Amino acid sequence: MKIRLSHADGRPLYVQIMDAVRSGLVRGSLRPEDLLPSVRELSSSLRVNPRTVSQAYAALERDGVVQVRHGKGTFVAPGVRPEEKERPRLAREVARRALADASRNGLALADLMTALREVEGGDAHGDGRKEDGR
Amino acid sequence: MTDTATAALPIDLGNGPFAVTTRGLAKQFGSTRALDGLDLQVPEGSVYVLVGPNGAGKSTLIRTLMGLVRYQDGAVSVLGRDPADRGAEVRAGIGHVPEDYRVGYAWMTVGRLLEHQAVYHPSWDAEYARGLRARYGIDPRRKCHTLSKGESRRVQLVLALAHRPPLLLLDEPTDGLDHVVRDETLSILSEHLADSPTTVVISTHRVYEVEPLVDHVGVLSEGRLLGQLPRDELYGGLLRYWADVPEGWRGPGELAGRVVRRSDAARAIEWTVWGDRDAVTRGLSQAGAAVREVAPLSVDEAAVALLSAREAT
Repeated sequence: MKIRLSHADGRPLYVQIMDAVRSGLVRGSLRPEDLLPSVRELSSSLRVNPRTVSQAYAALERDGVVQVRHGKGTFVAPGVRPEEKERPRLAREVARRALADASRNGLALADLMTALREVEGGDAHGDGRKEDGR
Repeated sequence: MTDTATAALPIDLGNGPFAVTTRGLAKQFGSTRALDGLDLQVPEGSVYVLVGPNGAGKSTLIRTLMGLVRYQDGAVSVLGRDPADRGAEVRAGIGHVPEDYRVGYAWMTVGRLLEHQAVYHPSWDAEYARGLRARYGIDPRRKCHTLSKGESRRVQLVLALAHRPPLLLLDEPTDGLDHVVRDETLSILSEHLADSPTTVVISTHRVYEVEPLVDHVGVLSEGRLLGQLPRDELYGGLLRYWADVPEGWRGPGELAGRVVRRSDAARAIEWTVWGDRDAVTRGLSQAGAAVREVAPLSVDEAAVALLSAREAT
């Protein structure tokens, strides 16, 4: 599991760890029954307080995403269905951030939606020019 | 006068249990007040960062907690004891990285120095000490007086950690360390916290270097606390608000929060406010401001906001 934390991010560190686990499930790099790094390993590699990692794992356990098996470690819960729950949840989180960013720049939802479709279609300039086809 | 009267943010952490407390602590050097009615509360098991500019009293406070400086007024409890009359017992339970990077016993080799420390600390973990020394890349045959500033700091960190004390007092622990060694030190501290129950007090004016480890914050200025609170509360309660405002806008008559810092331009404002996010946003909106963004401050930014607000008054 690869996690990159950002200290400039508006999300608290434990939420960033939770989102990284969810995103691993959605991408398929994490699967049910996988063993997650121990609190010690993860806090050492991220250089964060072990409590922050414990806090993230505990919150994920409450959400049914992971299971703590005493003496064995923390595992991805066998019953997770990333497509049904984690994907829409992660998408909403990304949408919230995009909307906040749009609002910060004085843009409305409609501006953002239009621009998303244009960029996705490769029409980054909104004038029919392709991004890479000069 | 104690802190409550002057603090911009809360300073009462409740009922504990606390590893360290001071009550109305005062210390004067000649006519200079180094500590001025300080009410410190360090919860057991917490990583508490003490932030403040040079001369704020951080080092005096740490030396007082060690029993190395005698205080004049107030009360101090460190691991349940008063360091003024039980200094040796208190120090036995503390791993200390002092402000001064020079290691005593300059003539000893590093290996000999580590063995020497083991005698004073029954809980000395020789294997851990060797492991840390090797990880820090210090040759045990080196004489202490030949160590560079950064190497001395590393040896001091090994000395502080290897007896797995219940309390670590680290005065500018990353001072003199290069980027790689500083990063390694954070990793070592994370592992140490996972392995040993420890309370940590870190004094620094470079909070960003240790920020991910921190769970309590105390901001010190002129021997007094401007705020002392859990990092998560700071993160949730001290926020920066950006808003567009009509020309000539005067702001709300009253706001459900304490404005720590304000910066107004012609048609836009940037306020740092301590208070409930929804209530403050509502208050600004009702006064005609269009709030565009609300964002938390890092511990470093929060300290800057509090300390510069203090200078402005």
